[in-house]
Amino acid sequence: MNNLVFLVPLFPLIGFLINGLGRKSLAKQAIGAIGSASILASFVVSIILFLQVKSSGAIIANYFNFIDVASLKIPFAFQIDQLSSLFLLIITGIGFLIHLYSTAYMTDEEAPHYARYFAYLNLFVFSMLLLVMGGNYVIMFIGWEGVGLCSYLLIGFWFKNDAYNYAAKKAFIMNRIGDLGFLLAVFWLINKLGTVTYGEVFANIGKLSHQDITIITALLFVGAMGKSAQLPLYTWLPDAMAGPTPVSALIHAATMVTAGIYMVSRSNLLYTLAPATQGFIAIIGLATALFAATIALKQNDIKKVLAYSTVSQLGYMFLGLGVGAYTGAVFHVMTHAFFKALLFLGAGSVIHAMHHEQDIRKMGGLKKYLPITNITFLLGCLAIAGVPPFSGFFSKDEILAAAYEKNPILYFLGVAGALMTTFYMFRLYAMTFLGKFRGTHEQEHHLHESPSAMTIPLTVLAILAVVGGFIGIPEVFAKDSHWLESFLAPVFAGSKALTEQKVSSHSTELMMMGVVTGLVLVTIAITWNKFSKYEATTTEETGLGKVLENKWYIDELYNAIVVNPLDALAGFFKNVIEKSGIDGIVNGVGTFINYSSRQLRLIQSGQVGAYILMMVLSMLGILLLWINDSTIVHFLHKIF
Amino acid sequence: MNAIILSALCGVVMMFSGILLKNKSAIKYVAIAALLVLIIGNLFQFYGIYTIDIDSKGLLSFDRTGLFFNTIIFVATLAYFILSGSDIERAGPDVAEYFALIFFVLCGVTILTSFNGLLMFFIGIEILSIPLYILTGSDKKNLKSNEASLKYFLMGSFSTGILLMGITLIYGATGSFGLQSTTIKSAVTGFSSAGILAPVGLVLLFISMCFKVSAAPFHFWAPDVYDGAPSVFTSFMATIVKAAGFFAFIKLFAAKSEDFGPGPAWKLILFVIIVATLFIGNITAVFQQSVKRMLAYSSIAQAGFMLFALYSTNDFTKDGILLYTAAYSFATIGIFSILTKMEDYSLDGFNGLSKSQPVLAFTNTVFFLSLSGIPLTAGFFAKYYMLASAIKGGGSLSLVIIAVLFAAVSVYYYFKVIQAMYFKEGVAATNTPITGNFKVALIVLAAIIVILGIYPTALLGFYYF
Repeated sequence: MNNLVFLVPLFPLIGFLINGLGRKSLAKQAIGAIGSASILASFVVSIILFLQVKSSGAIIANYFNFIDVASLKIPFAFQIDQLSSLFLLIITGIGFLIHLYSTAYMTDEEAPHYARYFAYLNLFVFSMLLLVMGGNYVIMFIGWEGVGLCSYLLIGFWFKNDAYNYAAKKAFIMNRIGDLGFLLAVFWLINKLGTVTYGEVFANIGKLSHQDITIITALLFVGAMGKSAQLPLYTWLPDAMAGPTPVSALIHAATMVTAGIYMVSRSNLLYTLAPATQGFIAIIGLATALFAATIALKQNDIKKVLAYSTVSQLGYMFLGLGVGAYTGAVFHVMTHAFFKALLFLGAGSVIHAMHHEQDIRKMGGLKKYLPITNITFLLGCLAIAGVPPFSGFFSKDEILAAAYEKNPILYFLGVAGALMTTFYMFRLYAMTFLGKFRGTHEQEHHLHESPSAMTIPLTVLAILAVVGGFIGIPEVFAKDSHWLESFLAPVFAGSKALTEQKVSSHSTELMMMGVVTGLVLVTIAITWNKFSKYEATTTEETGLGKVLENKWYIDELYNAIVVNPLDALAGFFKNVIEKSGIDGIVNGVGTFINYSSRQLRLIQSGQVGAYILMMVLSMLGILLLWINDSTIVHFLHKIF
Repeated sequence: MNAIILSALCGVVMMFSGILLKNKSAIKYVAIAALLVLIIGNLFQFYGIYTIDIDSKGLLSFDRTGLFFNTIIFVATLAYFILSGSDIERAGPDVAEYFALIFFVLCGVTILTSFNGLLMFFIGIEILSIPLYILTGSDKKNLKSNEASLKYFLMGSFSTGILLMGITLIYGATGSFGLQSTTIKSAVTGFSSAGILAPVGLVLLFISMCFKVSAAPFHFWAPDVYDGAPSVFTSFMATIVKAAGFFAFIKLFAAKSEDFGPGPAWKLILFVIIVATLFIGNITAVFQQSVKRMLAYSSIAQAGFMLFALYSTNDFTKDGILLYTAAYSFATIGIFSILTKMEDYSLDGFNGLSKSQPVLAFTNTVFFLSLSGIPLTAGFFAKYYMLASAIKGGGSLSLVIIAVLFAAVSVYYYFKVIQAMYFKEGVAATNTPITGNFKVALIVLAAIIVILGIYPTALLGFYYF
C-alpha cells in the first residue's frame, strides 16, 4: 500500500499547479471543480490509508535522501500511523467541505483572483499534509513553514486593503518567532542524536540527557506557541480574520492551528520525559484558555468572537497535552475541527447574507431568514459549550477529568473557562439569530438563505458536530467504549508505560459531569434570556468591560515594549550606522580605488626608455629580495 | 612531433596560398582546414599514434599534459579563426601572410609545450615572439600600430637579452642546457647552498618569463602593444600566446620541481610579483574608458591569477592552469571578436547594445561573467582551482584573500560593460553587418563556457582519459 501514500499530497499539489498557472485562462466552474476535486481525491486515498492502518498498523514510505551530508541523512519519508491517518481524514475531509463551500462564497471574485484563491487553498492543504505525513522533523518543518506561508497569502488575499496586509504580516512574523524555536530544537536533535526521524529519535531517547530533553521540548513548544496561537504569541490569530471566512474556518480554526497539538502528540514520548515542560504547557494552555475567553466575552465582531474562542479552545488542548491526556487533546482537535469549522462557515453564511456586515450589534432576528444556518449554528454552539451528548462534551470532559487527576485547581479554572465559553457563544447566537433585526432596511430586504453549496457543508458538519463525540465515550458509561483511545493506543503506548495510572472513582467523575452540565445549562438559560432582548445602546463600556473590549490592551503593550523600541533601533542603524559608517567605508573604498587608478595610469607614460629603466630597477629589487631573503621574510612575518 | 612539423608546414602552405588564391575568404577556409588537420594530427599523437617521428636526441620530450595543452590552444585558435577570420581579412592586404604568421606562432607554442632543455626553450620563445612583432605592426599605415610594433620589438629584444644572459649563466654553472642538473635543484631550493652563477641565471630566466606573460613590474609593454596593435591580433596575443607563455613558464619552473617544491625565496618573490600584478592590472583597469585598453589591463590582472600555478605545485595546479587557460582564452576571444565588430571601442560605444544586438550583448555578458569568476561559468572553477591550490600547497591565506579582493575589484570594471550594454540608452553601432554564423559561433562558445562552469570535469576528464 506504500505506493498510494504519495498520492495524498500529490493531488492538492496538482490542483495548485493547474489553478495557479492557468488562472488567467480557466473558467470559474473549472477552477472550483479542480480545487475541490483534488481534495476529494486526497480524501478518498486517505480513507483507504486509514483502513489500511486500522487493520495492519503504521506505513512508512521512504522515497529518497532529502539531505545527505557527511553522516547526517535525512530521508524524504512519510509516516502514516494512527495519529497521522486521523489527521489526514480531518484535513482532507473538512478541507473538501470548505473548498465546496468556497465555490459559492467566493463567487463574487473575478476569475483570476478566484483561481488564485483556490490555488492558495490547495497549496495550503498540500503543506498541511506534508506536515502531518512527514516521517521526520525536517519534513514536518517544510509543511510547518508551508502552512505559515499560505496563511500569510490568504490573510492578505484582499491585498488592496492595507489593514489586511498588516494582519498578514503580523501573522507571518509571529509565526516566524515560533518557527525559530522549532528550528533550534531540530538542530539540537541533530547535534545530539544525528537523526530527526521519529522512530530513530524515540528509540534512542535514552542517549539524551534530562536537560537536553527539557530544552528540546521547550523549544519545540515555542514553535507550537506561534503556530497554535498560545500566550504570548496569540495576537496574530484574531487579526487573521481579515482573510475570507472559509479560510478562517479551514486554516485558523480546523487545521493549521492544530499543528502545534499534532507536533506535541507526535513527540509525546519526549514530553512525557520532560515533566517541567509539561507543567509549563499545562499552565500556558490554561492561561490562554481563560485569557482568550475573557476577551471573547466583550467582542462584537462575529468572527472575532469565534477567533478568541479558537484561541481559548486551543488552550484547552494544550492543557490536555500538559496533563498527559494526549488522546483527549487529539480528540478535542477532532471535535473542535467539526464544530469550529461549522461555526465559522455559519458565520460566513451570515456575513454573506448581510453583505459583509460583521458587527453582531447590527444583526438580530436572522432565525427566520436563514433557517438552515440558524439550526446548524445552534448545534455548533451546543457542541462547543459541552452540552451532552454533543461532541464537545466528551472531548472537553476527557481533558478536564485528566486535569482533575493532576491538580483540582486546574480543573476548577478549566470549568470556569468552559462556562465563559458557554456565555460568549450563546451571547453570539442570541444577538445574531434571536430578537429583532437591527440592520438597515436595505440589508433586511436582501436577506436570503445561502446557496446549497454552502448549506450542504453546514449540514454535514452539523451532523459530525453532534455525533462526533461518540467515538470516545468515557469508561464511566460503558466499558471499552472509548474507540479512539484504543485506536491511538500504539502512538501513545510509550508515554502510557511511563506514567502511573491514577483513576478517580466513577462516582466522582459522574458527579463532576453532572455539576458542570448543570452549570452550563443554567448559563445558557441566562444568556439566552438576556441577549435575545438585546437593544442597541450607545453607552460606552467602562471599567473591566472596556479593558476586555480592547483585548486587555495586549496589542498596545506589544507595540510599546517590542515594536516601538525595535523601530527606534532600526532608525538608529539606518540613519547613523548605515549612512555615516557603512556607506562611508564602502564609498571610501570606491573613491580610493578610483583615485589610485587615476594615479597609477600615469606610470604608463608611453616612453620605452622609462619602461626599461623601471624594469631594470625591478630586476635589481628582485635580486636584492632574494639575497636578503631571510631578513625580509622575518620582517614580513612580523607584519602578517 | 606531429604538431610541430604540421604547424610549420601549414604556415608554409598559407604563404603559398596567398599567391595561388585571389579570394580572401578562400584563404580563411584554407586556414581553417589546415588547423583542423593540425588538431587531428595532434590528437593522433595524444592517443599514441606517431605519424611523424624524428629522433630529437633528447631535445624534445612529449607528455600528455603538453599534448593536451596543444589541443586546447588549437581549439581556441579554431574558435578565433571562426569568430575573427573575417576581421583578419580586413586587417590589411596580405591576408595569407597573417595566417602564415599565426601558424608559425603555433609552431612556437608546440615547441614550448615539449622542450626538454634551455636550448629548445629559447628557440620556442623566439619562434613565438618574432611573428608577433610583425603582426603588431601589420596595420602599416597606422602610426599607433607602427609605434606599438617598434616598442614591442625593443622591449622584447631587451627581455631576450636577459633570457640569453640567464641561460648563459646556467650553462656556465652546470655545463649543460638540460634541466635535470642537481645544481639547479639546489638553486631552486635556496641561494646559499649553490654557487652564484646558477641562482642568478635562474632569476634572470624568471624575470624574462615574467616579461613574456606581462607580470608586473615587467608588464609595461602590454598596455601599449595591446592597445596599438590591430584588435584582431591583440585578441590572439592576449589569449593564445599568453596562455602558451604561461605554460612554458610553469613547465620550466614548476613542472620540473615535482620532486622539490619552490623554496621560501621563490615563494617570497612570487608573492610580491603576484600581488603587484593583481594590484596594477586591476586598479589601472578601473579608470580606463576604452574597452580595448581595459582588456589589456584585465589580461595583466588575469596573469596574476595564473601565476598562482607557479606559487604552489600540487594536483590542483595542473588541473587549474588547464582550466584557467581554457576559460580565459575562450572568454577573451569571444569578447575581442565582438569588440572588433564595434564602431567605437570606448565604453559608451557599447551603450544600448542589448537592444540593437541582443545575441551579442548576451554572449558578451556570459564572457565577462566568466572573466569575473561568477559561478555557473568556467571562470568560477578556474579561479577556484587556483585559489584552492594556494591554500592546499602551503597555506598562504593572505595571498588568497588579496586575490579575492582584487577579483571583487575586477567585477567593477567588467560589469561596467554589461551595464553599458543593458542599462544605458544609446545606439551601439557595428562596423560590419553581423552574420548569423557569427552569432551561432558566439552562442556555441558561450555554451562551452557555461558547460565548463557547471561540469568542469568535462574538460579535465578528457585530459585524464
